[in-house]
Amino acid sequence: MAKGIWVYVEQRDGKVKKVTYELLSAGRKAADSLGEELCAVLPGKGVAGIAPGLGEYGADKVYVLESDALEQYTTDGYANAVAALAKEKEPSAILMGCTVTGRDLAAQVAQKLGTGLLTDCTDMALENGQLVFTRPIYAGKAFVKAACPEARPVMATIRPNVLAVEGTQAGRTAEVVNVTPNAGDIRQIIKDTVLQVSTRPELTEADIIVSGGRGMKGPENFKILEDLADVLGAAVGASRAAVDAGWKPHSFQVGQTGKTVSPVVYIACGISGAIQHLAGMSSSKCIVAVNKDPEANIFKVADYGIVGDLFEIVPLLTEEFKKIMAS
Amino acid sequence: MNIVVCMKQTFDTEAKIALDANGKINKQGVSLIMNPYCEFAVEEALRIKEKHGGEVTVVSVGGPEAQDALRQALAMGADKAVLVDPGMEEVDEFATATILAKAISGMQYDIILGGFRAIDDGSAQVAGRVAEILGLPVVNVVVKLDIEGGKAVATKEIEGGSQVLEVSLPAVFTAQKGLNEPRYPSMKGIMQAKKKPMDKKTLADLGLDAAQVAPKVKVLSYFLPSARAAGKIIPGEPADAARDLVKALREEAKVI
Amino acid sequence: MSEPLMLFDEVRDAIVASGGEEIQMCMQCGLCTGSCPWGRMEEKAEFNVRAMFHMGRLGYDGYESDDFLFACTTCNQCGVKCPRGIKIPNVVRSMRSVICETGGIPKNLKAVLGSINSQGNPWSQEKDDRTAWTAGHDVPEFTPDKEYLLYVCCTSAYDGRSQKVARSIVDLLKAAGVSFGIIGNEEKCCGESVRKIGAEEEFGNLARHNIDLFNKKGVKKIITTSPHCLYTFKNEYPEFGAEFEVVHYSELLHNLVSGGKLKFSKPVAKKVIYHEPCYLGRHSRIFDAPRELLGAVPDLEMAEFKGNRDFSMCCSGGGARIWMETKAGQRFSDVKVKEASESGSQVIATACPYCIVMLEDSLKNQNKDEEMSVKDISEILKESL
Ligand code: SF4
Ligand code: SF4
Ligand code: SF4
Repeated sequence: MAKGIWVYVEQRDGKVKKVTYELLSAGRKAADSLGEELCAVLPGKGVAGIAPGLGEYGADKVYVLESDALEQYTTDGYANAVAALAKEKEPSAILMGCTVTGRDLAAQVAQKLGTGLLTDCTDMALENGQLVFTRPIYAGKAFVKAACPEARPVMATIRPNVLAVEGTQAGRTAEVVNVTPNAGDIRQIIKDTVLQVSTRPELTEADIIVSGGRGMKGPENFKILEDLADVLGAAVGASRAAVDAGWKPHSFQVGQTGKTVSPVVYIACGISGAIQHLAGMSSSKCIVAVNKDPEANIFKVADYGIVGDLFEIVPLLTEEFKKIMAS
Repeated sequence: MNIVVCMKQTFDTEAKIALDANGKINKQGVSLIMNPYCEFAVEEALRIKEKHGGEVTVVSVGGPEAQDALRQALAMGADKAVLVDPGMEEVDEFATATILAKAISGMQYDIILGGFRAIDDGSAQVAGRVAEILGLPVVNVVVKLDIEGGKAVATKEIEGGSQVLEVSLPAVFTAQKGLNEPRYPSMKGIMQAKKKPMDKKTLADLGLDAAQVAPKVKVLSYFLPSARAAGKIIPGEPADAARDLVKALREEAKVI
Repeated sequence: MSEPLMLFDEVRDAIVASGGEEIQMCMQCGLCTGSCPWGRMEEKAEFNVRAMFHMGRLGYDGYESDDFLFACTTCNQCGVKCPRGIKIPNVVRSMRSVICETGGIPKNLKAVLGSINSQGNPWSQEKDDRTAWTAGHDVPEFTPDKEYLLYVCCTSAYDGRSQKVARSIVDLLKAAGVSFGIIGNEEKCCGESVRKIGAEEEFGNLARHNIDLFNKKGVKKIITTSPHCLYTFKNEYPEFGAEFEVVHYSELLHNLVSGGKLKFSKPVAKKVIYHEPCYLGRHSRIFDAPRELLGAVPDLEMAEFKGNRDFSMCCSGGGARIWMETKAGQRFSDVKVKEASESGSQVIATACPYCIVMLEDSLKNQNKDEEMSVKDISEILKESL
């Protein structure tokens, strides 16, 4: 009998990713309803210290998989270790954050266990005693609700920031179970790891885009957009007019003759909204426009707009976002 | 160097998504294209072939319409195409991977490439599963790939940076944007593609039965996002407007 | 030693099969390339139509790119010169269609086709918003008792700037007492530029849809706002069984003015230079109507580009180029804006929604948008009512 909801603990250098807490919170609720235990699975090296504290977020038990071989994340090492433990303990569900690592790991573990995997989910709920996941498809133009009725464990990767961290209990500790992991044969040999501080995402891959047009008045003023982008982890884009003026290279150009984008949030600053620009971004989920001209076409497609001086408003937005991103 | 590329045909990025009478995704009136990430994979395969020699085979799971995408790959320069029509309504990633792996297992390969995700369901797991079934190492989200003497050096994206990995061949790699700039098919390529083999297979041809590819995941329902509300102009002094906007984005639109 | 060139006859056969049989008539004199605007830009372009025909005929590789096969704006300036009388844009179209069938078209154009298939317009806008331009404006609906259908180009239906043109045309038609109406959301793009991508299948779908719709609604005569729509309705829809009488709004207004049904009284004291839309002028042979209409406006001073009528230079928006990026230094519209500015004109007038998009962009990137503006002739005429 499969028992237990598992949450994979993603950490780097001993620092746990927030998505792990989100999964523990949601997992706690599901475990309570199903009458199962909530277990955290923590592979790594020198990570045992993190384990007890996971209880505060809801974990009943933490499997600590300590090994030199797991010091750094490798697809084979982690997948072997997690899958071996899962084969032994037979959990009913395994949840992971939909991060670069979570996505990489989940597919391998799912296949090793011969089970189904729902990736990139934005919601998880219990319906008639089964875990049901919602995931966006077609770049968010539709959603699918799906489950894994028979195969166990049910596996899913869930996007960061979609589940709330709630019901934490200070002082609650989890039972720590040390397991000697079986990392197996690691075939991906790490030659080099390069971490860049604050690289902005690629335009067409970004969830948030901050874009500037002719209203930016000059290349030096893009600094205020970059500041805003960095607070949001956003990419910076430009309208054709701004690119034509030589303020940004063509690779920044959003629009039909540049890059077609459909981020979750598109913040258009000083962009009038020529049809070619609109054609390249109007499928964005939420469009925000800041422009001094209330008649500007961009307001016709905007979900939220502020009519005013962007040089005044954008820095204010940056400050406001800083506040909420910190909380 | 024999290279197999797993590829998928998808809706194009502009497709308007609607549901049909049965609540399924309506496939009428949408353009079908080769998944852009698969295009990177095909291009990379062709570049490796041009440098090291060998043959490029493209494989896809889908209905007869998927031939168009395969034909594009042939026109770009791939040598052979294999299309497996599963003849089933619902195919999940487990089923697709099982079919692909079975089709590939009968071929000679040193490198297997795929797009790291498809732009339709974005599930990003099929190639990894194929690797697992075939017992091969996988490197995902690859932005640079060098092949040298039975080994591959791949640069992959990781959170906040990149990582260089070495694997022995055969191995599976999934292509991320930035790996290369795919070529257009040439007219000559298009003409030649017409004569290249397009092998159409069924599950039975591969020796698979329905039970082996029964999906693990079951779709319960599809739904569309709620319609866009009319745009709002946030009034007030700049400082107030900025505060209200940020609040609306977090609490009302729930996008930040 | 380089490799010997391999000839590949099948490429020529495919071009011929797609309707480009005239490629075989080319005698490689090069007069086309000599008159093509691409060769006259500040930055030398790679594109050379004569060479492309040569390569296509022999089946060489190497011209199937954004800035070669897809460079031609189908303006037909070359066709005027061709001693063999070849319809060069049509051969270009057929060459593109060979590529298009395989899905190898430029990325930006794939998005356009996607939008055409899903939304029925090339601008990725909602099909149900096609009549958004009429908001707050009284625009009659087409019913069988109306003489004309007013078919509004996708660009004028969706582009905020161009919507003003659609409304001006409506006002003028009303002022002249024309019996007309619009159909709106059920309409799809005319498909002229879609066909120029080489997308024969999509074009056929659009044409059949529109013809059915028009017939069902009882349409006999059509007024177009764009010369692109005019061209395809008139010259290409009949292949699909269409039997409509089609006029560009400028022709119709011209007749109304001649017949005394429309008068312009308010002076517009500006110097106006007329940019000839290729699809109105060279392709449809309507040269005088727009000029005479502008001439009927009191106090308006007309100017002409040095190359005009058959020798007018394209704005670079035809042949699907409007959806593609053209490098600075190679944009025909930049050159036109410079010439217009040198002529001392305050307004560049034209009669095509694409031309407006292209010329306005150039006005901005040449930093001339403070001193000059681009107007559709209908906007000037409306001002003068
Ligand atoms: S149609 Fe125009 S752009 Fe095309 S080759 Fe002829 S002159 Fe050049
Ligand atoms: S002008 Fe006519 S005959 Fe001469 S090269 Fe061009 S297409 Fe051929
Ligand atoms: S000119 Fe014709 S083809 Fe072009 S957008 Fe308008 S209606 Fe569509």
